[in-house]
Amino acid sequence: MAISAVARETVFALRRQIAKIEGTLPERLQAPAPATLDADAGVGPGVDLTIVRRGLAAALPDAFLPIGVERLDAALGGGLPKAALTEIHGLETRDAGAVAGFALSLVSLILNQAQGLPILWIGTSEIFHEAGFPYARGLHATFGIEPGQLLFSEAPRLVDALWVAEEAARMTALAAVILEIRGNPQRLDLTATRRLHARAQGAGRPVFLLRQAAGPEPTAAPVRLIAASAPAVPRETIAGPLAGSIGRPAFTVSIGKSRTALPGQFTLEWNPDERGFEERRDKERRAENPVPVVSLSGGRKDPAAAAGEILAFPAVGSPISPTPGNQPPPGQRATHLGPRRAG
Amino acid sequence: MGIADARAMHPSIDIVEADPEADRRLLEGLADWCDRYTPLVALDGIDGLFLDVTGCTHLFGGERAMLDEILSRFLQQGFDVRAGLAGTPGAAWAAARFCGDRIVASGEEEALLAPLPLAALRIAQEIRTSLESVGLRTAGAVMAAPRAPLVRRFGALLLQRLDQALGRLDEAISPRLPVAPLSVERHLAEPVTLTEEIERLVGMLATTLKTDLERRGEGARSLALLLFRVDGAVSRIALGTSRPMREPLLIKKLFHERLAALEQQIDAGYGFDLVRLSVLAVAAFDTQQTDLTGEAADDGADIALFADCIRARLGEGAVLQPVAVESHLPERAVAIVPFAEAPRRTTPPKKPDRMQAPMTIFPPERPIRLFRAPEPIDVPVTEMPEGPPLHFRWRRALYRVTRAEGPERIAAEWWREAPGDPAASTRDYFRIEDGDGRRYWLYRQGLYGNPQVPPRWFMHGVFA
Repeated sequence: MAISAVARETVFALRRQIAKIEGTLPERLQAPAPATLDADAGVGPGVDLTIVRRGLAAALPDAFLPIGVERLDAALGGGLPKAALTEIHGLETRDAGAVAGFALSLVSLILNQAQGLPILWIGTSEIFHEAGFPYARGLHATFGIEPGQLLFSEAPRLVDALWVAEEAARMTALAAVILEIRGNPQRLDLTATRRLHARAQGAGRPVFLLRQAAGPEPTAAPVRLIAASAPAVPRETIAGPLAGSIGRPAFTVSIGKSRTALPGQFTLEWNPDERGFEERRDKERRAENPVPVVSLSGGRKDPAAAAGEILAFPAVGSPISPTPGNQPPPGQRATHLGPRRAG
Repeated sequence: MGIADARAMHPSIDIVEADPEADRRLLEGLADWCDRYTPLVALDGIDGLFLDVTGCTHLFGGERAMLDEILSRFLQQGFDVRAGLAGTPGAAWAAARFCGDRIVASGEEEALLAPLPLAALRIAQEIRTSLESVGLRTAGAVMAAPRAPLVRRFGALLLQRLDQALGRLDEAISPRLPVAPLSVERHLAEPVTLTEEIERLVGMLATTLKTDLERRGEGARSLALLLFRVDGAVSRIALGTSRPMREPLLIKKLFHERLAALEQQIDAGYGFDLVRLSVLAVAAFDTQQTDLTGEAADDGADIALFADCIRARLGEGAVLQPVAVESHLPERAVAIVPFAEAPRRTTPPKKPDRMQAPMTIFPPERPIRLFRAPEPIDVPVTEMPEGPPLHFRWRRALYRVTRAEGPERIAAEWWREAPGDPAASTRDYFRIEDGDGRRYWLYRQGLYGNPQVPPRWFMHGVFA
C-alpha cells in the first residue's frame, strides 16, 4: 500500500515535470460551477456564459494568482500564472501611471502571500525620465509595499536592463520582478522574452513586463493585458458620494492574449485598504456627465414613445387615423408651420 | 643653448616640447608595475622610485637576483635604469645615483657615502654651496666635522639627512597606495590572455585567500585584481561587496561580471604574467547558523549577492533602494540610495512600537510616480484664483480637468533653505483627473495676487 502511494506520488511529480517542460498544463474542459452562473445571472443569462477550463490535474494548486474578480479569473483560466512572464501594455506613455498601478496591485496581491520578500523594479533611464520614478511613499500608501521591500535598478541601455531582468528572474528571494520598457525595441524579441519566461518558470516567480506606448508583438508571455486608466468613482462618505472627489484607483483592463483566448474588457477598482480588486459592473457610472446626451422634448407632457411602437405603415386592416397623442399640441407647433405674419 | 643654436649645429634635429605631465604619468605607470615586487612603492621627485623590499627579497632569490631581475626587465622594456639597494633610503638613493647597481650591506653606509660628493646627501643647493665655500666637499668631510657647529651654521636638515642615510634615524617612505591587508598572487611562466583563464586564476587565488580570511575571522568588503601585462602595463580592477565575503565561487562570479563589463577596456596584448588578488578592506564575518535543510535563515544574502553582481557590471548606482526621510516635501521624503549604503532591513516589528509616531488616520494621497524635476505646464485659466485649472497643456497636449481635489498646501522648509519670499516657494498641490480618467498631481507655485510674479504651474507626479 505504502509503496503504491509512493509510486503514485512519483508519477504525479513526473507529470508535473513534463507539464513544466512543455510549458502547458494538461487540462480538460468542464462546465462552469453553478455559483458562477448565479453570479452572472444578473447581467443576463447567456451573455457571460463562458466555458471555464478547470480541473488542472497536474498543475500545482497554487500555480495561478487569482485576481479576485470572478469574470476576469474565469477568462484567464483561473488567474494569472504565477511562474511566468506577464505582459502589461499601455497604449500611450501618459498611461504609465495606470499601467504601473495595475502591475503594482498584482504585486500587492502576491505580497499578501509572500510576506516580506522584496520586489525589484527595473527600468531604462528613458522610461524613468519620461514617466517618472517610482515614489515609495505613494507605493506604501496605495499598495502597502514598504520602502525597505523595494529595489530599483535603472539601466542606461536596454541591453543592460534585460540582463538585470534575466539575472533577477531566476532569484527565488524576490517576490516579483517588474521590467519596464518603452516602445517596441528590436532587442525585446521572441528570444529575449522566451529567456525571461524560462527563468521565471524555473524560479517560480512572476515577471511583469510593462510596455509603455507599445504595440502588440509576438512574445513568449502567455498572458498579455492592456491596462488604461478609468475615471474613479467619488469618495464614499456617510452622507453618500462626495461630489467632485476622486476615489479609489480604477483601471480598464482588457485581455490581449491568454491561454483560453477569451476576449474581455473589465473595469477594476483597487481597494487600497483591503488590498483587493473589485469589478465595477454598471457602465452608467462612467458617464457622469450631467448634461444629457439627447435633449428632452419641449413640453415634457409627451415623452418619446418606446422604440418599435411607431410604425411607418400601420398594420393591415387598421383604420388610418393619426392619434392625437402623436401630434404636438397647437401651441407647440414649430414656428415655420404657423401663419406667416407680414410686415 | 637655444633652439636656433642647436639647429645650426644639427639641422636635422627633432624638437619635442617638454611634457612634465606625461613624464609624471609614465613614472606612475612604472610605479604600478613595481607593485609586483613590493606593495610599498613611493615616488621620488620626478625621476625616481623608492621600493621598500624588506621581507620581499627571498621571493625573488635574494637581493642580487632581485636587483638583476628588476634591471633586466626595465632594460627589456626600453628603460635605462640605475638602481641601488641599501639598508636605508638615503644610502640606497646615493648608491643608485652615484655608484650604480650596487648593493650596500648593512653597516657599510658610511664607507659608501664618505667619498661621494655633497649632492649624495639629498640636501638643497644653497646648503651645498655654503658647505663647499668652507671647504667641506665630500660627505666624508661633513661626517668628520663636529656636529654642533654644523647645526648652528647650516641648519638641522643637513645632519638629519646624514643620520637618515647612516641609519641613525628612521626614515619611512610614503607608499602611493595603501597596503592591502591580504593579497595573493601568482607568477605565470606562460602569459595568459583569455578572460576565462583570468577568471580561473581568480578562483584559485580566492581559494587561497579564503583560508587566510577564515584564520582572521574576517570577510572581504573590497577587492582588487591586478593584472600585470608582460610589457609593463598594469590593469587594476576593483569591486566592492555589500556584505563581508570569503566564498571563492562568489568572488569569482563577481569578477566574472566585472571583467565582462570591462571587456572593451582591458587589452590583454601579449598576455599577463602576474595576477594578484588583494583584499583592500575587510570586515568581521559573522558565520550564519543554517538549519537542517541547509538553508540559512537569512535570505538577504541572496539579494546582497545579486546586488553585488549588478554593481560589478553596471556600476555603483545600478541597484537603488528608497529610504524614508522625515520631511514633508515630496521630493525629499524619499531618498534613493545605492543598495550597499542603504540601512540593512531588519524584520518588521510585529506590533506597533510605542516609540513610533502615531499613525495618521487619513494620510495625504501621494502619487505612485514622481517626476525627478517637476515639469512646467501651461495653465491658461483657473476657475477661482486659488483653485484648480480648467485646462492645462503638458508636453504639448491639452488636458481637460474633469475633477479636482485640493489644494494641499506644502510650504518650503524654512529651517533648511535660505530665507526668501515664503509665498514664492509655497506650493498648492491639486489632485486632478482628466477626461480619460488619468490622475495627475499638479501644483501651483506662487499666488495670483502679485502681478509682477505670476504663479507658475508644474506637473509633479502621476497617480495610479
